[in-house]
Amino acid sequence: MFFTLLRLQALKSFRSTSFAKSALATGFMIFIALLLLSYVFFAGLFLGRIIELIAEGRDALDFLNSGLIYFFLVEFMYRYFIQKLPVVELESLLHLPIGKKRIIQILMLRSFISPLNLIALLLFLPFGIQDIQEQYGTLGFISWFGTLLFFSWTLHWFMLWFKQRFEDSIIGLLVVFATLILGGGATFMGWYNIGELIAPMFAMALTSLIPLVVFFLLCVVAFILAFRYYVQNAYLEDLSDEEDVRFVNQSFGFFSRFGVAGELANLEWKLIVRHKKSRTYLMLSAFFLLYGLIFYTNPQYQRVEGIHPIFIFVGVFITGIFMIQYGQQFLSWNSGNFDFFLSKKAGVESLVKGKYLLFLSISLVCFLASVPYAYFGFEILMVHLATFLFNIGIMVHVIIYLALWKPKPMDLNKGAMFNYEGVGAAQFLIIIPLMAGPYLVYLPFSLLIGDYAGLIALGISGMIGLLAFKPLSQLNIQKVLSNRYEISSSFRQEL
Amino acid sequence: MIQLSQLKKQYKEAIVLDIPELEISKGECFGLVGNNGAGKTTLFRIILDLVRATSGQVTINGVDVKKDESWKSLVGAYLDEHMLLAYLTADEYFETLRKIYGLSEADLKSHLEKFTELFNDEVLGKKKYIRDLSKGNLKKVGIAAALMGNPEVVMLDEPFENLDPSSQIRLKKLILREKEQSKITFLISSHDLNHVTEICDRIVLLEKGKVIRDLREKSEMMSKLEAYFTG
Repeated sequence: MFFTLLRLQALKSFRSTSFAKSALATGFMIFIALLLLSYVFFAGLFLGRIIELIAEGRDALDFLNSGLIYFFLVEFMYRYFIQKLPVVELESLLHLPIGKKRIIQILMLRSFISPLNLIALLLFLPFGIQDIQEQYGTLGFISWFGTLLFFSWTLHWFMLWFKQRFEDSIIGLLVVFATLILGGGATFMGWYNIGELIAPMFAMALTSLIPLVVFFLLCVVAFILAFRYYVQNAYLEDLSDEEDVRFVNQSFGFFSRFGVAGELANLEWKLIVRHKKSRTYLMLSAFFLLYGLIFYTNPQYQRVEGIHPIFIFVGVFITGIFMIQYGQQFLSWNSGNFDFFLSKKAGVESLVKGKYLLFLSISLVCFLASVPYAYFGFEILMVHLATFLFNIGIMVHVIIYLALWKPKPMDLNKGAMFNYEGVGAAQFLIIIPLMAGPYLVYLPFSLLIGDYAGLIALGISGMIGLLAFKPLSQLNIQKVLSNRYEISSSFRQEL
Repeated sequence: MIQLSQLKKQYKEAIVLDIPELEISKGECFGLVGNNGAGKTTLFRIILDLVRATSGQVTINGVDVKKDESWKSLVGAYLDEHMLLAYLTADEYFETLRKIYGLSEADLKSHLEKFTELFNDEVLGKKKYIRDLSKGNLKKVGIAAALMGNPEVVMLDEPFENLDPSSQIRLKKLILREKEQSKITFLISSHDLNHVTEICDRIVLLEKGKVIRDLREKSEMMSKLEAYFTG
């Protein structure tokens, strides 16, 4: 049975109309994952040395133990953002005599096979073998290392439950914020040092088996929590008490000035706020407005003169996150009713224009919301302005152009359970090649003349893009129009 | 065979299904009719445990469908195309089901032979994924799949919809034959009064989630239904 289900999964992806696109994305993902894992492994090999360098005079093990909790806090964060939830076609399996528990078990097993679950292993195994086994013997090593491993895996199962349970709710984001503040913030503000508080527990693991047993049990409990939640909710309908009609009749009068395209922008806005998946994207853009805090406060990136190149990345990200994320599935959002647009006069053209309008508006809102970053320096405001112009002048066309390559149908209305195709590592990694664009413009000028010249180049190229908006957007519109038969048939095909 | 008690489904204020008591006995051909939104598909989904009832329960052979899944091997169903694995060809789909149900290849072959007439050479042996089939052929695949694995109960939602007239007649014959030979309990919802009164020995009429007629007399079924629907 296990292999039958696996085979079905494989067949599904092979036969998908957008196989080439997903294959390329998967290939890229695997490459990045291997690269990062090998970095982690090397970092693990030299962990002892690295600690000696940072913590002069302190015992390496003590230092590591007091830092471990930060590692797990960071793990909590990255798991929240990139750990994917298992997806299965529940409808076509539920009525067969397979048993929900069996389906869910397979789902869970598959979710566990993930590079994220190797990070703790690769990072701490070499150090454990080199240092701890020497000092505390094999038993101490097993107990310490096992505690770490089960801590990490507990987070895995916990996250499966947490993300599904609180996805798209304020509580979820609040918990993540609270974790961030309680962890890093508290130490930074000097309320208490969480690292020192938790350190004795890891120290205890060196000589006693109790922490190992405790974390093993926690891991089992987290697994059961997730497993039971998934089994209980393996139904076709949504879990939540159907969202209130809180978003009804929300539209922007501002869009109406743009005629049919404006109407469709309004329509798209309704689509976004009325579907869980797209709403998550919107909330993420709000969340990423805070992204700058990590970089702009970091002394490592402070320069007396000029601008650290990484700020360009941050600027593009902050002012363009919504179009980068949402735009990646440009037409897929409308896959359920693409025929509707096809059957209207100038429908597809207005649809694309409406989306442009929406992207530009949200980008503008993000830019305005990021103005307070000027507190960290005037140059940051300039970076944001230049990247904003570049985003709306050039990037938006590039993103849409790429997204139009074999768009994949997406079912927005399927019960949200097990349909969490939304935000995963892929959505973030795809950004990396996209980022080549702004740097191609920025770096030559900033290296040859100066950082501000680079910014001006970004801004001017963005403005040229804006002036040439009509022909550039026409390129994308024509691309949709000339491929409309292919696109619409692929949207109709996949059930 | 199937017993419903105090069954209720509610979305917010709107009650979409409210059935205090209903029993479907073994070997019965149970027809379900009603206008759009009467709750036919919801009822089927609740029986299949695809959707949760707000209150009440459904038991199949005395087992609560929510608590135990053993009944799934006794029940075959085809409600809509989402129940198919659309990215397989029809042959592959049947082959997959064969493994799931634990049938032998000979079993599958003899099962599919029953459908030769209905399939009309348009389904099997074609290099075409299910998602590319026409709606009528999709339905045929689904019905053949629902009847696999010697089920005791078969539930079909609008089986005649989208079928051409000759396929409709063939399907009717097929259902009658299965009913005769294998004593299968059929649950069929349909808007086609002629077909459903012809094959079913009991017709239940739903209106806004409530059972308002329960007809068992074949001779008067048609006239009573016509009287209701012409209103």
